[in-house]
Amino acid sequence: MSNPDDRAFDGEQAFTAENIYVSLTYEPLDTNKALSRVKSPKAGAVVLFAGCTRDSFASKTVTHLAYSTYAPLALRTLQTIARDIRQKYNLVGISITHRLGRVDVGEESILIAVSAAHRTEGWRAGEECLERVKERVEIWKEEWFEDGGVWRSNRDGAAGVPVRKEES
Amino acid sequence: MSVPKAPSGHFTLLYFAAATSFTQKQYDFIPAPLSIEQLHTTLETKYPGISERILKSSALTINLDYVDVEQELAKGIDGMQIQPRDEVAVIPPVSSG
Repeated sequence: MSNPDDRAFDGEQAFTAENIYVSLTYEPLDTNKALSRVKSPKAGAVVLFAGCTRDSFASKTVTHLAYSTYAPLALRTLQTIARDIRQKYNLVGISITHRLGRVDVGEESILIAVSAAHRTEGWRAGEECLERVKERVEIWKEEWFEDGGVWRSNRDGAAGVPVRKEES
Repeated sequence: MSVPKAPSGHFTLLYFAAATSFTQKQYDFIPAPLSIEQLHTTLETKYPGISERILKSSALTINLDYVDVEQELAKGIDGMQIQPRDEVAVIPPVSSG
């Protein structure tokens, strides 16, 4: 069970390479920072995706989410994805930041910003990037419900498994 | 979570998400060398039911590289050996985003 004090590290851990920025952070996400990391006079299109915490899952009221990670591996996987997507869509820049720890309803859990010469590559790159992150990056979500239950989700739309009672 | 260094002759096994819930731990130190098959046997003895409930649906990494678990189980004792000081991790199905 995620405990707010049980952090893999403090603040933010980032990896940067030419035109690539990936990071994990326990702090609230900053959309302006994500945008400014990828903006360029060469880029006519900047696409920003913000994944936010929903207030319900399978008609149960969610109070907040909590994310945990295997930080060194997640950063490595994020780099691989960012590099692949940047190359495939000929992007000017790409930035992926995932939040960890407690994320309240309505707050962002992930920001993906991409910039491209033209909009088509930008839209497509953003979409494929998110799908690949969700499929592969070593981060795990817990959904906390109003009734006190906590579920470990597997995939979008799939019911999770209850976290054992004695943990709470 | 900060994990202390493994004692000599041991490797570190990290647990995440469902694996943490099941073992009620974030890590164990286990004597090395050990094959992947022996690791499964050791864990099943320590945490009965873990093979079916957790390991079957999880991946495994050694020093941040994914291991082909099925292939290693098929090789048995002749497969790759986990070495002292290695960092091994049980990786349950991910759920980011």
